[in-house]
Amino acid sequence: MHTVSLRINGNPHTIQVASTTTLLDAIRDHLHLTGTKEGCGIGECGACTVLLDGAPVTACLILAVEVEGASIETIEGEAQSGQLSDLQQAFIDAGAVQCGFCTPGMIMSARALLNANPNPTDEEIVEAIAGNLCRCTGYSAIIDAIKVAAGADGREGPGLREAAAHTEGKAAADA
Amino acid sequence: MPVFSRSCRRDERPAGEKARTPNVRGSFEYIRATTLEEACQLLLEGGGSALAYAGGTDLLVDIRNGIRSPNLLVDIKGIDSLHRLEAGDDGLTIGSVTHLNRIAEHAGLRGRLPALADAALSIATYQLRNRATIGGNLCNASPASDSIPPLLVVGASLRIQGVDGFREVPLDCFCTGVKKTCLEPGELVSEIHVPPTPPGTRTAFLKQQRIRGHDLAVVNLAGALTPRDGLLRIAIGSCTPTPLLLDPIETSGHSIEATAEEAVRRAAENISPIDDVRGSAAYRRAIVPILVRRLVESLMRGGA
Repeated sequence: MHTVSLRINGNPHTIQVASTTTLLDAIRDHLHLTGTKEGCGIGECGACTVLLDGAPVTACLILAVEVEGASIETIEGEAQSGQLSDLQQAFIDAGAVQCGFCTPGMIMSARALLNANPNPTDEEIVEAIAGNLCRCTGYSAIIDAIKVAAGADGREGPGLREAAAHTEGKAAADA
Repeated sequence: MPVFSRSCRRDERPAGEKARTPNVRGSFEYIRATTLEEACQLLLEGGGSALAYAGGTDLLVDIRNGIRSPNLLVDIKGIDSLHRLEAGDDGLTIGSVTHLNRIAEHAGLRGRLPALADAALSIATYQLRNRATIGGNLCNASPASDSIPPLLVVGASLRIQGVDGFREVPLDCFCTGVKKTCLEPGELVSEIHVPPTPPGTRTAFLKQQRIRGHDLAVVNLAGALTPRDGLLRIAIGSCTPTPLLLDPIETSGHSIEATAEEAVRRAAENISPIDDVRGSAAYRRAIVPILVRRLVESLMRGGA
């Protein structure tokens, strides 16, 4: 067994893990943060995306023993004091959540994007979430939500109301 | 055969193999080496059951699928010297554990060898590229490796560290077969070196995939054209057991069309594609001339 000290969402933790324990298993089974999901387990789907020292990575393909001293951010770190984050609220408002299984990973990829690039283009958003598979939404509502969050962040962007109208307009056009 | 099943990597499992278990299998130990000497010693002592571990994006999948079952993983990311990435007058030096996003985003590297930056960017997803390393991509020795063709066309060599010192091996001699390299027990790749490219050298990378998103190559190829000697070098992946470097093609005094014809002829003569989950041999034979022609045209027209 290995002793690993790390920070999760700003809080220090020390855990005992086997060499074979993945970071994903450590987060879910040792730290009981079950927001991070396992989809494929082989790095294809992105459901287990977390930020490792700020960089989005798939936690299923990292060993827990490797992250000694690292800082990890998961979906549980998004809401602060019971208040949803801009991205979480935007995903709800834009209807970007259906079954919800991909959403934690999707939001962490979006968070990494907005941290590095507060005003992403559509193409940059698509590239940032290319490693996150969603089998429900068809992605456009997710892209809308990330654009909204970029605007709601106090920067230039379409803004919540405008994007909601955009989504409604599309729904009306589809109907 | 259901069409949808062709797009998923799990179908490459041999028929009859058991479904994946939910956790990384096996009972391997893990050691984080801090010096090259320590890492090589551990690998030597472990024989075939100790494996160098870097990004883990291929190795952990193989362990999970029961394809490889090491007793020891020697993590080499704690060795500072393996993180070098320098682009200078003496060429490029790339430490083997440099991750692919760093290669894609390094301005000095992109300026000198855009084919490699583009190839790195074409591999997997942003999350995986934050972990997957250039050394891992080389040592995996896949026929479809995206990083090998761009490095072949500029004459890259590898520094291979062993317990008794290091040796330099031309990349062209490194892969000895499908997923096989010339690495001996106790050895690991520490650096990739690209010699200085003559002024005006242009490089390009092309990749044919089944889908626009992340996917392995059905065919990939890279080219380098050096105006000073007029030589065009082309390397093709996924059409031979190890990526294929064609003999240099003379462009001086030849039209783009004549050069493309010659390049297509040589490519067709030298490839030996097979049918696999990503494409048929016939498809590869059909698409290679088109891609080679596209590559030659873009390099000889000067890209822009």
